[in-house]
Amino acid sequence: MMDWLHGTWAIFEKDVRLELRSRYAINSLLMFVLASMPLIIFALDRNNIGMREQSALLWIIILFSAAVGLGRSFISEQERGTVLLLQLNTRPSMVYAGKLLFNILLILSVNITALFAFMFFLQLSVKIPGLLIVTLLLGAIGLAGATTLLAALIARSSNQGALLPVLLFPILIPLLISVVHATQTALDENSNWNAASEDLKVLIGFAGVTITTSVLLFDYVWND
Amino acid sequence: MTVVIIGGFLLRIPKLSILEHTARNLYYHVPMWFTMLAAAGFSAYHSYKSLRTGSLIHDIRAEEASRLGIFFGILGLVTGSIWARYTWYVGQGIWWNFDPKQTLAAIGVLIYGAYFVLRSTIEIPRIRARISAAYNLFASATLPLLLYVLPRQLDSLHPGAEGNPAFSEITHPLMRLVFYPACIGFIGLFYVLYTQRVRVAQLKDQLAPQWEDD
Repeated sequence: MMDWLHGTWAIFEKDVRLELRSRYAINSLLMFVLASMPLIIFALDRNNIGMREQSALLWIIILFSAAVGLGRSFISEQERGTVLLLQLNTRPSMVYAGKLLFNILLILSVNITALFAFMFFLQLSVKIPGLLIVTLLLGAIGLAGATTLLAALIARSSNQGALLPVLLFPILIPLLISVVHATQTALDENSNWNAASEDLKVLIGFAGVTITTSVLLFDYVWND
Repeated sequence: MTVVIIGGFLLRIPKLSILEHTARNLYYHVPMWFTMLAAAGFSAYHSYKSLRTGSLIHDIRAEEASRLGIFFGILGLVTGSIWARYTWYVGQGIWWNFDPKQTLAAIGVLIYGAYFVLRSTIEIPRIRARISAAYNLFASATLPLLLYVLPRQLDSLHPGAEGNPAFSEITHPLMRLVFYPACIGFIGLFYVLYTQRVRVAQLKDQLAPQWEDD
């Protein structure tokens, strides 16, 4: 068990270090979020966006940036030719867990950037901060859980660019419905935690289901 | 099968307000769904077997089952949407209304569409089998959540939902006489198509030059 944790942490640390060196994924993700802000502001009447629209737009931007940015996590291993090394030295579950942690970290930074951008540009005001933080955290875990396995799948295919959104979006619908509703609840001043309890349960369930099935299936995807 | 189709058009049905003769669509629309579910079940089962055993025959079976699943799913969506257009929305001209069952079916069709896109991008059969089976199972695992989430978000027009009579209250015994054979008939039709297609795919596979496994 200690061995497993150690291996997982090593993979996670390796990804973070590589990321800090090149800053490829984080920069493209954050710029994606910021670049989409003017699109929203000019496409909509910016004084007249309700809570429902704010939370929906927030999550749609997060989902799209995840679909654009996270597909690289396994492709980069293939391009650098380090897949074989990882296959020999570590167990598949370690690779999966390390990548999952790294993706959660990336999505969390996207979530926080998007949230602040919305507060700054669209006057988004949060009434229940605790609920919003929990929602962002659970949403990030669920999103990373669904994306990590699919990123491993598309690393094995030849058309890597447009494939991830196609595979990802139909699966994410339960997540999207719940996070949008929970975020809307957190923005509403006449609301409370109870109104979002069902959504939080769904989010926990979604993260649980995606991560469990991913761990079960990852062995087959990773090994030849 | 022929008897069912003729019976569906000719037999007497109880007159109900709104529905009237469109109720005959029950014999076609509802069995399409059962068939799609059966196809999804077949496909998930064979994906699992394909991962377990690694033999290509299960992959072919899973592929053909999901192809037919898409086919019956689209037929079900079309028949359902026409039915809704001329009963619930007569005069309004709405074709699509985001009913939970309709949405779920559309998402199912989307997932199988994605499954085929994924398949088309991988060339080595052994890897294609493994990767697409993993996606199929992964997507199937998230479907129960969708079943739980959707009905809370959207209102349903289907029987058994709030304010609508349950299935057993609106069906006449004579209709069931046609309906049950129709279900069996459509699933049977699926099974025949499925076994034939699997056979054809297998033969093609044998005739085609074998891939050099790396």
